[in-house]
Amino acid sequence: MTLYEGAVRRPIMTTLVFVAIAIFGLFSLSKLPIDLMPDIDTNMIMVMETYAGASAEDIENNVTRPLENTLNSVNYLKHITSQSRENYAIITLEFEYGHDIDALTNDVRDKLDMVSSALPEEAGTPIIFKFSSDMIPILVLSAQARESTPALYKILDDQVANPLARIAGVGSVSVSGAAERTIYVYCDPNKLEAYGLTINGIAGIIGAENINVPGGSFDTGNKAYTLRIEGEFDDPKEMLDLVVGHRDNQLVYLRDVATVVDGVQERAQKVTTFFTNENDPKGYSGELGAMIIVQKQSGANSVAITEKVLKMLPQIQKTLPTDVTLGVIVNTSENIYATIDSLEEVIAYAMLFVALVCFLFLGRWRAVVVIVLTIPLSLVSSFIYLAIAGSSINMISLSCLSIAIGNVVDDAIVVLENVTNHIERGSDPKQAAIHGTNEVAISVVASTLTMIGVFFPLTMIPGMTGVLFRELGWMMCVIMTVSTTSALTFTPMLCSQMLRLKKRENGFSRWYDHFIVRGMLDKLDHWYSKRINWAVRHRKTMVGIIILFFILSVMPAVMGLIGTGFFPQSDSGRISVRLELPIGTRQARAEEIANELSNLWMSRWGTPEQKVLKACNFTTGQADTDNMFASMQDNGTHIISFNIALYKVNERNLKLSMYDVGNMMRKDLKKYPELVKIQVIEGGQRGMGGQTTADFEIYGYDLAYTDSLTSMMQRYMSEVRGVSQINISRPARQPEVQVDLDRGKLARYDLNTATAGAFLRSAFNGTTASYFREDGEEYDIIVRYTPEVREDVKTIENILLTSPTGSVRVRDIGEVVERETLPTIERKDRQRINTLSCVVNEDESNLGSVVNAGKDYIEELRNQGYLSGDVDIMVSGSYEDQQDSFRDLGTLGALILIIVFIVMAAQFESWSDPFIIMLVSIPFTITGVILALWITGVDLNVMSMLGCIMLIGIVVKNGIVLIDYIHLLRERGESVISAVVHAGRSRLRPVLMTTLTTILGMVPMAVGSGQGSEMWQPLGIAIIGGLLVSTMMTLVVVPSIYCIVQGFKINASRRQWANQLGVEAEWNKKKHTFRRHRRK
Amino acid sequence: MKGIFIAFDQAHRDDVIASLASCMQRGFTMIPDATGRGSNTGEPHLGSHAWPGTNSAIITICPDERVDTILDRLKKIDHDRPMLGLRAFVFPVEQAI
Repeated sequence: MTLYEGAVRRPIMTTLVFVAIAIFGLFSLSKLPIDLMPDIDTNMIMVMETYAGASAEDIENNVTRPLENTLNSVNYLKHITSQSRENYAIITLEFEYGHDIDALTNDVRDKLDMVSSALPEEAGTPIIFKFSSDMIPILVLSAQARESTPALYKILDDQVANPLARIAGVGSVSVSGAAERTIYVYCDPNKLEAYGLTINGIAGIIGAENINVPGGSFDTGNKAYTLRIEGEFDDPKEMLDLVVGHRDNQLVYLRDVATVVDGVQERAQKVTTFFTNENDPKGYSGELGAMIIVQKQSGANSVAITEKVLKMLPQIQKTLPTDVTLGVIVNTSENIYATIDSLEEVIAYAMLFVALVCFLFLGRWRAVVVIVLTIPLSLVSSFIYLAIAGSSINMISLSCLSIAIGNVVDDAIVVLENVTNHIERGSDPKQAAIHGTNEVAISVVASTLTMIGVFFPLTMIPGMTGVLFRELGWMMCVIMTVSTTSALTFTPMLCSQMLRLKKRENGFSRWYDHFIVRGMLDKLDHWYSKRINWAVRHRKTMVGIIILFFILSVMPAVMGLIGTGFFPQSDSGRISVRLELPIGTRQARAEEIANELSNLWMSRWGTPEQKVLKACNFTTGQADTDNMFASMQDNGTHIISFNIALYKVNERNLKLSMYDVGNMMRKDLKKYPELVKIQVIEGGQRGMGGQTTADFEIYGYDLAYTDSLTSMMQRYMSEVRGVSQINISRPARQPEVQVDLDRGKLARYDLNTATAGAFLRSAFNGTTASYFREDGEEYDIIVRYTPEVREDVKTIENILLTSPTGSVRVRDIGEVVERETLPTIERKDRQRINTLSCVVNEDESNLGSVVNAGKDYIEELRNQGYLSGDVDIMVSGSYEDQQDSFRDLGTLGALILIIVFIVMAAQFESWSDPFIIMLVSIPFTITGVILALWITGVDLNVMSMLGCIMLIGIVVKNGIVLIDYIHLLRERGESVISAVVHAGRSRLRPVLMTTLTTILGMVPMAVGSGQGSEMWQPLGIAIIGGLLVSTMMTLVVVPSIYCIVQGFKINASRRQWANQLGVEAEWNKKKHTFRRHRRK
Repeated sequence: MKGIFIAFDQAHRDDVIASLASCMQRGFTMIPDATGRGSNTGEPHLGSHAWPGTNSAIITICPDERVDTILDRLKKIDHDRPMLGLRAFVFPVEQAI
């Protein structure tokens, strides 16, 4: 008993097998996590190494280089980049995609163990982070407080950040904008001098007084007592009464030389958050408060983590003092949910369209049910694969479902069509189902093999594109296999149960027969057979026409009208803005500008009527040094960083995209001449649907020379069309005051650099004398010079250094000079680097043309001799990724062509037939894609390239159907031309039907406007364009070329026969007569 | 005793067996997959790419008086679905064991 016979004879078993698949699929679906993309960012490991007191250049030489040299030998390393800064180095290892990050982390750890002996002794232990600090936060929370404001930092750090950081997958949680309570003892240097006191002396006294000393225990009578001295301060003001010295038999109290301020840290980040607020007359409101930033680890699922964090918040809220309230500013998962929702809508429409096409061609609801049931069955089965593979519901897997919808019905249609034929000839439905399926089984399997031939190689692409498309490849293979199995078992079973021997006549069927069948389909058949008849009898003209058409249609590409990009930019509703004022600008000025901008933007886009900006949050000021994550980000009094969240695309009242808003922001920012650096970043990371940048990496050891090259390049690039912003990675030099000490003079006063340095440090930075304890919390008591004194450079010169042999002023033993230093030295692949990245405005131009402009200039620089020795400029960024992906996809395309050829040649047992099909369908697919991209103005990017590749499998199917039927008719004894014409006429409907299901299945993708639709639009457009043109060409041109090839073959075989019969001379003489005869 | 050779499109199989049974004809021998083509009309059933249809054949031996009834029933089957094809040939059986 064959497979289909068994299925038809045992309908209950067949049904239940597929019901089981559906149940497993739905069960898997319920377990699948949701994410935006398959796990793709698992390729970064960051190593941080501290070396206190070293300058950026010292760090580079002593820490960064040895680490880089060792880490460079870790397997699968793609790039190694480093930042050497004062006190620490950050080395980021970027690996090839698709390797196990945990194994790589272990390798890195081993290498670090090896190198630890080569590092300076004072250097700390290297710390490994499985995330990159460039990664955008997945969640930004706000915290507001009233009474608890002084303790807010402690509260948030202990009770919010710590529990959140314990959640698996959370990379870091950092608190900013909540200043830490600190008790300052501000000393007046003149008074200190007058009483002969020093900062360190005062700090020592405070430390000695603020102490509880246990004195043991003793027994009195029946009781035991413990002895204790409680010296700890209950109130910071108590310190004012401390005796710090004697002068002329008088006690000197601390209040005589210093003031005590119980306040917050002097330098602190301030965070202001603006929200859309319906109750406010302006439509928005803003307030100061703290911000908690949650970043995820590489490879962790954003949605899952966000959900866990949000679930934990109410519990955390309960533990907090009642006046502290937490809120959510930015939530990445909202965008992901919106994207997934809009894709689900796309899928629903695709299913509807496919069902409509089936109904139009078949006209019977029973037949439509038989076919449409295949769709959910095959799609649901792919969830089982996703669950086993540990993947998620994401943009790629859902796009894959949407692509599959149009294809999974094809097999079912072929089977149904043949079964219907049998029934119409008089077979009983059951018999018809078995024999009808039997007849087409082989060609169904063959056409599925071509599809698998296309999608299986997708699972083998390396690199980032590979991570994206591996899942797609596997899913399509699973879906295709299940749909074919279903077409060979479930569909015949359904046919046998649902189709009727005699069609029931009713109003609809009469209307359908009259208008659709006779009015449209029959006329179309007739029209087409006339065209094809003409085409096969005017073969030379046809060849001329198609060559002309081909040349014309590739013109847009040749003339450079098709732009190239990497990934389409999608609107994720996130903008971050980073502004730099000249170094040394006070925080107050930065705040003023930030407030002005926030008010401007919120009033323009943030009111309930406009509903574009949801929240606008900015941070100013310098981060505290013990807030490690905040200090790793660039920060300083002159820097303003904005975190802006937009409403979901369909919720916005003003129809502005994230990119429109970003471009307008840039224009606003250009009005502030004092901003030295402007960076507006739309979306999240570079690459995957975020901002497109053309990066130029300027390598070279000489900092000054590469700086000048960078500014030359910047001047040139800023003139290039489509460049909306240029970012330079190397920071501006920071002014620094240095004290050059004379060692000889130092020695005369029994001092050395360390002791002199300690005096300077305690005067300006202050000394932590002790800790003030209150309510179980500890706060620093810091002794330092009063702020007014510290503002003057002269103070440094006047600092009195005391030693047992006397005292001396700084100006007497050294010189105070102002210098500039580079705060950060960046390296990539062990060379110093400066990156110039041009943000591409996709409305005006595209990545390809911006990069080409840059390349031309680099060539010019090279010719003029600017680039010599170790100095070089390379193109990287999105362009590098794009080139990698295009190369990978190109190789893949070639591989797929070969596989498809093999499958077809095996099926037809012929060299020429697959060649004819591919000769026609592939080039015209390309022209179709070119034309579609040209008309819609969409770039050729990874998504449209993927469309082209999938088309290879889809378009040859039409050719296979046609050629297969031509063969059949030829075997039945028809002549070439009549077989071609009849086959064309008879196969027109199935070809149109399968093509239309695919095209209409793609239409919702191509025209969708939901969140994230920019991402899959190019795919939909490419497939529609390619399939449309290629199908039309296949229907007309394949018959003509088939006739030409067969003509050659027939002539050749006639000649062979003539040879065999020894009548070659006769043949040559009468050749023309034969040909003329044939022409008639 | 007569023998009847029935060649028919596979789709008729269940009907043919049912009609034999209805004539009290218990015994038969079936060749489930047979190929062939008719001498005058009808589509060839060659099980090939060009002619994918296949036949079945049944040989049944019955008493003389039953032949007419069987042939009548077979004729009706053929008549109902002329596109499929069914042919029956009767021959004498000389001896049997």
